[in-house]
Amino acid sequence: MLASSKRKAFLIICFFMLFLIILGKTTSFAIVPPTDEFYVNDSANLLSEDLEKYIVETNVTLNQKTGAQIVVVTVNSLEGQSLEEYATELFRECGIGDATKNNGVLLLLALEEREFRIEVGYGLEGALTDGKTGRIQDEYIIPYLREDNWNEGVRNGYSKILEEVANEYQVDVGEITAVKGTTVSEPLDFFTSTILPIAFFVAVIAFRIYAASHGILIVGGRGGFSSGSSHHSSGGFFGGGGSSGGGGSSRRF
Amino acid sequence: MKKSTIVLIVILVLVVVIGIALVGGYNKVVSQRESVDTASANLDVMLQRRADLIPNLVNTVKGYTSHENEVIEQITTARENLINANNIEEKAAADEELSSAIDALMIVVENYPDLKSSQNFIQLSDELAGTENRIATARRDYNNAVQTYNLTIRRFPNNLLAGMFGFETVEYFEATESSQEVPNVSFE
Repeated sequence: MLASSKRKAFLIICFFMLFLIILGKTTSFAIVPPTDEFYVNDSANLLSEDLEKYIVETNVTLNQKTGAQIVVVTVNSLEGQSLEEYATELFRECGIGDATKNNGVLLLLALEEREFRIEVGYGLEGALTDGKTGRIQDEYIIPYLREDNWNEGVRNGYSKILEEVANEYQVDVGEITAVKGTTVSEPLDFFTSTILPIAFFVAVIAFRIYAASHGILIVGGRGGFSSGSSHHSSGGFFGGGGSSGGGGSSRRF
Repeated sequence: MKKSTIVLIVILVLVVVIGIALVGGYNKVVSQRESVDTASANLDVMLQRRADLIPNLVNTVKGYTSHENEVIEQITTARENLINANNIEEKAAADEELSSAIDALMIVVENYPDLKSSQNFIQLSDELAGTENRIATARRDYNNAVQTYNLTIRRFPNNLLAGMFGFETVEYFEATESSQEVPNVSFE
């Protein structure tokens, strides 16, 4: 009896260690500002840090004022998928824009294919018609991309789209772009990102040890823990859940 | 006496359990059928949108060309067929016909640089390409909904339910290979 409860306690401590390791990993993910990952995903590594910062900062303000989101993604290759399908899938996967307003925009650059697409969520199709997004690409983006001037092309196009979206919601663009150095990429503060999960965790473990020593059987105790940590996962958290029906336009450059 | 009570209780429990399962299955089939209808309506909207763009396109092309009546005729007929299509199969066929007609037109347009570079035509082409893509997306969504629904009503025990309540499998929106290629409009 005594031996078995000791073994239980040992096992619980093992779990504790294991979860601490896992916990350490999830929190370090959460500390990387999820906004950086959501509003800009420069996987082809074409954009300057400055530009990424600008995109994230303006997006946060835009999102606060309108619920709209303009996400910029660069990829090395589409891996054989069509640009349009890739864009729609990515758009829906990320849930760009508000879930009910569907007011998201995705700017996607495929380096290897030399293709660019502006994909527009249902809710902004009126403000950004296909023809308009095509013209924006022709005038503001493609000329720069042709000369491999990625930063200028993306910044120009992004700013123009931002302006159009702001106009749609009768918000002054100046208000959005003027906000410099706001605590945009502010990571979760130390308390919520570290202390709270650990406290929660310790409480769970303490309860388990208490329960084990009192012979209380806990069913699904681990499930309780994992739901505690899922709070920190960044996936889908910043995406408002918006969807797109494939509106927008594509260009080669 | 006691034995028969037990049998009765067992039967009662079985009836309740089966009843609950049937209701659950029925509701599932109904909601999946509803998704199919929604996706189908959405697809119709996109097809209509495409049909609505055609007259504008035809007029623009006519403004720049004089003897391309054959291509224009082809497009107009295909559009009529799409509008008059009644079921999924006819719609898919008409949509395909319209796609190849637009393809043919875009080849002709290559001979008219003024038309090709006109702002109006570029905008129309974007709208058209965007609509093509919306149709492709709506078709994927529709076919996915149909697949889920068809699978549900073919599987046991829902197949019994489907038979009882007259749920029938729904056709996919299928087009042949040629129509899956979006007309490639490129501007140099």
